[in-house]
Amino acid sequence: MPTEHKLHSLEDSSADLHDTILTQRMENTQPCRVLVVDDDDLVRARLTALLRNAEFEVEAASNGEDALRILGSRHCQILLTDWQMPDMDGLSLCRIVRSEHGESYVYVVMLTVRDSKEDLLKGLGAGADDYVVKSAPVEEIMARLEVARRITHVEYSLRRSHRENRRLAVTDPLTGAYNLRFLMKHLPRELSRSQRYLHPLAVLSCDIDRFKQINDAYGHDIGDEVLRAFVARADSCIREGSDWLARVGGDEFLIVLPETDVAGANRAAQKLRRVFSHCPVATHVGPVKFTVSIGITALEAEREIQEPSKIEDLLRAVDRGLYASKSQGGDKATAASVTAGRVAIIKQPGEKNGIN
Amino acid sequence: MGSIRRRPLTPAFRKAPATQDDSFESLRQAFHARLESERVHFVTLSAALARADENPVWIFEDLVYRAHRLQGGAAIFEESEVAKAAGRLESAAGAAAQSRADNTDEDVWSALEDLVKLMGNIESVRAVANA
Repeated sequence: MPTEHKLHSLEDSSADLHDTILTQRMENTQPCRVLVVDDDDLVRARLTALLRNAEFEVEAASNGEDALRILGSRHCQILLTDWQMPDMDGLSLCRIVRSEHGESYVYVVMLTVRDSKEDLLKGLGAGADDYVVKSAPVEEIMARLEVARRITHVEYSLRRSHRENRRLAVTDPLTGAYNLRFLMKHLPRELSRSQRYLHPLAVLSCDIDRFKQINDAYGHDIGDEVLRAFVARADSCIREGSDWLARVGGDEFLIVLPETDVAGANRAAQKLRRVFSHCPVATHVGPVKFTVSIGITALEAEREIQEPSKIEDLLRAVDRGLYASKSQGGDKATAASVTAGRVAIIKQPGEKNGIN
Repeated sequence: MGSIRRRPLTPAFRKAPATQDDSFESLRQAFHARLESERVHFVTLSAALARADENPVWIFEDLVYRAHRLQGGAAIFEESEVAKAAGRLESAAGAAAQSRADNTDEDVWSALEDLVKLMGNIESVRAVANA
């Protein structure tokens, strides 16, 4: 799953899922859809014909309850409803739509024979956006529906740009990975969740070895291609939906692996290291080979009970591991931990330092 | 200087006026067919009202329901006189029901007779036109 798509599953999954569905629906629903609600079948048929003639998509219902069923299954941008109907009248329908369908805005036009000022105020008070009497000329009714179409289009554009802005605010524009802002918001959440439920949590810090030389030798365009390739490959090495990757500096990335202990983090790091050392990256000037150094740290449940780690501890430990990997010439993964405020490299059996 | 191109008209105004489409005529015919049966209902209700000795509230309520429905349909099918007459009957019957009036309520009778007469006229005109 591309990193930009992971944003939605992590940040506010239900709202974003709704947004995504809404976007797909709206992108696929041209012209915009109107739900006509009237208990008179001839009036429904007449309005349906008028609307289709004006290139609206039309759904129809004979009462409020049917209308709610349709709204529950399909997004309708405009609701054109009568007031007096059996079972559930237009006012009640309007109130329910306003209270239950807040996320995807439904523009409500009340079309009724009630023409007093009091009725108009009641209709608008119930949440209708517009109020038209049935005796109005057809041209006026259609003109008001054109207004509704314009407004729902503006609303959709705003929603889309808001979603895009929200994505850009937490995304690195070059690579599509999460940015530092996202990391600083979500890593503490991962840490506290892990500590609350005593679940493991691992963090990898990755740095492209001799990245400056790549830039110097091939130019910054190729350097950028390498960074993008790093994110794409790293993304394919981590678990979809739970693990995530953030760019924290020029060629530095942090990978967060929830529900992963140090052994699992080691395996992930080795996989990541190999995927770069074995396969050069294709760029527009040809293949570029590079390696990555990795620092690893993981929370240990037993120790977290006695002495909960802080976010700074995690970052210090992972930095220390990365530094150790770099100081051994790169293309290595080294685990480190913080105990009683002191960072220590975790030595593996048969290894002097680091894990390869 | 480049030519000034007109923006395309919005869909609602792109085509011929909506009132002239084919579906309107067929739906209007269906509405008029219903008008005939509705007139029969109103005549039946007026007979029931005339016979009702006491508590004709249910008749007033039925009149309100039917007049309201007729008003909406007539407005949409551009029978504005029928819509107005039905609106008057709805108001009169609604007020009579609320005040628990008896079966001699003048406003109700006047509105009912006007409406039935108007519907009969429309029926006659259409019958002549179709002959």
